[in-house]
Amino acid sequence: MTTDLASKMGQELSGKILEISGQNPHLCMQCGTCSASCTGIDLMDLLPRQVMRLIQLGNARALACRSIWICSTCLLCTARCPRGIDIARLMEALRVINLRKGNEVLAPEKIPVDLIKEVPQMALTSGFRKLSA
Amino acid sequence: MRIPYFPGCTLYTKARNLDNSTRASLGALGVELAELPQWTCCGTVFPLAQDNYMGMVAAARILANAAKEGDGRLVTVCSFCYNVLKRVNYAIKNNPEAKNKLNTYLEENYAGETRLLHPLEVIRDEVGWERIKSKAGENLKGLKVACYYGCLLTRPAQEMAFGDPENPTVMEELVCALGAEPTVFPHKTKCCGSYQLLNSSELVLSRVREILCSAAAHGAQAIITSCPLCQFNLDWAQEKIEQNDPGFTKIPVLYFTQLLGAALALPAQNLGLEQHYVDPRPLFTGM
Repeated sequence: MTTDLASKMGQELSGKILEISGQNPHLCMQCGTCSASCTGIDLMDLLPRQVMRLIQLGNARALACRSIWICSTCLLCTARCPRGIDIARLMEALRVINLRKGNEVLAPEKIPVDLIKEVPQMALTSGFRKLSA
Repeated sequence: MRIPYFPGCTLYTKARNLDNSTRASLGALGVELAELPQWTCCGTVFPLAQDNYMGMVAAARILANAAKEGDGRLVTVCSFCYNVLKRVNYAIKNNPEAKNKLNTYLEENYAGETRLLHPLEVIRDEVGWERIKSKAGENLKGLKVACYYGCLLTRPAQEMAFGDPENPTVMEELVCALGAEPTVFPHKTKCCGSYQLLNSSELVLSRVREILCSAAAHGAQAIITSCPLCQFNLDWAQEKIEQNDPGFTKIPVLYFTQLLGAALALPAQNLGLEQHYVDPRPLFTGM
């Protein structure tokens, strides 16, 4: 891929993320407070801080990482960001771009039947709303 | 005092004990919760994509219907319902595009006038701690309780306006008024892993273990919450944690309304204490 094409695609991705999230990722100064606060950090492939950096660069790897699907939208990162970025909205934008193309991680048949019988209904509606297309 | 009430789907099914104990304990304090004549699921999660207005429609309809009942107040207890209803109400009040789109779709003229209240706010502001103290008796004397708020009651702080986003205190104030002792609990607003239970149950097991061990390390004999999913995750996971860690001590996880009902000596059938994985009944003598 030529540098020009990569840069154009990066700009398109940045524009889409801005439109969906309403957040300016360039405020991020890479301090890592979000990573230190994150609920799902142990199971993520990229730290939230690294996801933020990829978003700043318009790098499509941000769309393909596992971290965005491990986020439980608890908003600790958002509450603590010293630059006032709603990081949870940026994570959601990355999920939503995937989901609108049909890329999902939570399929009903993958959930153990025993668990489905036990869980409160809200777990199913919230899980499918966040993680299914 | 009669206040319109939105139970939510889970309270009609898996969390019947939250619904029953909320109605019964508030009733014993003179607050009658009048269920809305018609309601649907709240949508469960607030959409964080700013172009997703469809994710707000259900909550907007509930709020607009509630505005036609009673005196404009609406009570809901489930943390998910409370969070999504409060955030959608905030959006309708503060975002003209959200207000216009939702009203056009629903054929309503709603401007965010419904005042959404959590039972903890009703108890604090309408009943008052002094009245609770006088009614509570000595049932819970000496019981050490960790108050678990989870992620939804307090965040985002500006929209939820439920105290400090990482150090709310209203549940501790309730525990004190009931004659029990709130413990120090640094994990009180950490996330239990929530719906990741379905996608990544190992995340929930590790988060829950950390939260439970923190509660135990600070001397808690019980944990209270207002969220059916927190309650489930914290309660259900304990047997699995114990299988891998024989030194792990189980802690009962209750709804705050069950603790309130126990303090008020309400009949056992209103509390549903038998519907837990870790039995909380040994905590209450004579129940």
